[in-house]
Amino acid sequence: MKSTIEVQGVTKAFNMGVARSMGSLARIVSFLSDRTPKKRICVLRNVSLKVKPGEIIGVVGKNASGKSTLMRILAGIYSADSGVVRTDGKIVSLIGLNIGLKERLTMKDNIFLCCSLFGLPQKTIRKRFNSIVEFSELEDYVGTKIYQFSEGTRQRLAFSIAVHCNPEILLLDEVFEVGDKWFREKCSKRIRGLARKGACILFVSHELDMVKKHCSRTIWLDKGRIVKDGPCEEVLKEYVKSTQR
Amino acid sequence: MGLRKVLGLGLALAKAEFKLRNEGSFIGILWYLLNPVLMFVLLLLVFSDRLGGNIPSYPLYILLGIIIFNFFQKVTVESTKAIYDHRSIIKSIKFPNEVLVLSLIFKFLFAHVFEIVIFSVVLIIFNGSLASMLAYPLILILFLFFCYGVSLFLSSATIYLTDMDNIWRFLSMLLWFATPIFYAIEGQERLLLFNSINPLFYFITAARDMIIYGRIPEMWIVGGCIASALASLAIGIAAFNMLKKRIPELI
Repeated sequence: MKSTIEVQGVTKAFNMGVARSMGSLARIVSFLSDRTPKKRICVLRNVSLKVKPGEIIGVVGKNASGKSTLMRILAGIYSADSGVVRTDGKIVSLIGLNIGLKERLTMKDNIFLCCSLFGLPQKTIRKRFNSIVEFSELEDYVGTKIYQFSEGTRQRLAFSIAVHCNPEILLLDEVFEVGDKWFREKCSKRIRGLARKGACILFVSHELDMVKKHCSRTIWLDKGRIVKDGPCEEVLKEYVKSTQR
Repeated sequence: MGLRKVLGLGLALAKAEFKLRNEGSFIGILWYLLNPVLMFVLLLLVFSDRLGGNIPSYPLYILLGIIIFNFFQKVTVESTKAIYDHRSIIKSIKFPNEVLVLSLIFKFLFAHVFEIVIFSVVLIIFNGSLASMLAYPLILILFLFFCYGVSLFLSSATIYLTDMDNIWRFLSMLLWFATPIFYAIEGQERLLLFNSINPLFYFITAARDMIIYGRIPEMWIVGGCIASALASLAIGIAAFNMLKKRIPELI
């Protein structure tokens, strides 16, 4: 497995609703049609990066700095307004634990559904089912509906499904914010194992200790621009300093 | 994603939606059947004397019309919400979004099979031949392509024009009255003219000819079915491909 990611000069903007002073007529129209004035806001500006096989890269930055948008562009969910994105390998994205878990379905049904969404055939899902359940350590809840799960147990299930779907490029967006220490350690081992096999791993996190622990390289995003891309210790030091200002 | 994987994913989604639809329901699948059966009984009681006098096998005529229209209406109305209802998945995982529409077709096809079983029972009661039901899959395949095309268009268009949901509900209700479901259009010039551009008229007429009256539909009816299916599929796929690029950003 030799997966790579190459991003060159990617820019992305969205039309976003903004508060603007309006006349009486405009207010009435806005109330009746539920339409608000929109402004084109640039979320990513000229972002370039390269990820080599086996690299684990942390992405840090304040809220609304463009981290999730970058992840979605890499996953192929959003398309860039300009610039080039080249990925080589099967992408598995875990963005905010949303992998299609259906609240009113059982854990078993959700495993089959989510693995199908990640492109696994039914036969393979059946083969890996026990392993997914075992990794998540939720053997007693196979028949339980997801709405009865805590955030932590959902994270266990989501992560377990993601790593069992042959990821060659694994994109993790704020998935370790809710789990317990023991399970995080287990995930860490799995992530390192995938990297050793040549997978590219990018993970967005506000848990700087996790980033420090796993990543040799970190990217700091602010207002859609890469402020710094380099050795983890160095980038995090400057990032922490900037947040204390 | 290959065709086999797309079909597999469509089936998995349909299965999940079907389970969710019947979750906690005491009579489950029977809810799907209650609507067409009650509508059939009501229309038969109200119109059998006034409109059904000149129509041979009127109960079968109504029931088949209701079942076919019901499938079209349910699939297309739900398709207006198909993308929006799955927004969290679409924003998290890259997969062919058309599958969401395909899963609707599978989901309602399952219910349709039950409706067809009921129709077969009524067919036997009214001395019809079950052998004629063997021809139905031919019409059904074309009809599924037609519904898929319309649903693809509606599902993507609704993201850009939110009102499409309400507009389509209203239009499909108008279509219900304009399509000869509980009346015949012979001798009614204006209705005949309208129905010449109404694809549902072709599918329902072809199905009635083959199943109820045991005859091969006229060539222009068969041509109408094929043309409707191909045109709908072509327009639906083209519209979806044109609009799908920005869907994840707009939901």
